[in-house]
Amino acid sequence: MASVNVMRKVEISSDAVSVDGVALPVCGSGEAMLDWIYRTHVGGYPKYHKMDLLCKLGFIASELLLAGEDGRFVPRDDRAVILFNRTGSQCDDLRYLSTITEGEGYFPSPAVFVYTLPNIVTGEIAIRNKYYGETSFYLISGPDTWMMLEVAGQAMDCGGVSSALTGWVECPGEDKLECMMMLAEKTVNFAD
Amino acid sequence: MEELILELKEEIIDALNLEEVTPADIDNDAPLFGEGLGLDSIDALELIILLEKKYGIRLSNPQEGKEVFKSVAVMAGYVKDNRKK
Repeated sequence: MASVNVMRKVEISSDAVSVDGVALPVCGSGEAMLDWIYRTHVGGYPKYHKMDLLCKLGFIASELLLAGEDGRFVPRDDRAVILFNRTGSQCDDLRYLSTITEGEGYFPSPAVFVYTLPNIVTGEIAIRNKYYGETSFYLISGPDTWMMLEVAGQAMDCGGVSSALTGWVECPGEDKLECMMMLAEKTVNFAD
Repeated sequence: MEELILELKEEIIDALNLEEVTPADIDNDAPLFGEGLGLDSIDALELIILLEKKYGIRLSNPQEGKEVFKSVAVMAGYVKDNRKK
């Protein structure tokens, strides 16, 4: 398997954020905290407001991870986006369910429905950053860093992938956030 | 009619999560799709839901949406003529 180096790491909980181990001052908690980070650190991307909570979490984590990167937004196909969680898009599944209650409450929402797939998170990140390579979303039982980096390493082994945004992006409940996202790069093995 | 146009603008902003847009930003006659607000196909479906939920108007043919959603002014005229709520 390719050797993988973690270059940067972002961690987000319901009320705290850190970038490479350094706490980022934030305001509020849950979705309000993410919205505050968008307004103060990102901005200029109105599509953010249409995203569901899982996408907002993945998007904000990726924005903090990639801030200031040289050559960002130059189209590339050698960076994979490989994310993981346990519940998939369950938070959106339940929200969509509430729009299709019986009787007079039956108004299925297309804007909610489009987010009832966890890999939409990888898609939103890829669209934003002009990544045209591999994107995938796996369901595993817990945030196993070793497993996540192994999967990223296997993608790099296949050729054509030199780096990956990978990690855990989970909304275990209403307004609850769990995220650990890494920028991992393939290291050069001089024996190859 | 002005009241209905303002109401529609507020409903559109709310339904489509246009958080960085105010009613004053939406020109009554500007295209809603393509240029103008730059709405997409999912937004079009949400507007169809809005018509039914708020005004009791069910579009029998989704292709009608292309004409109905030309602008807020056109939409307001359609709602005024066809609303059931």
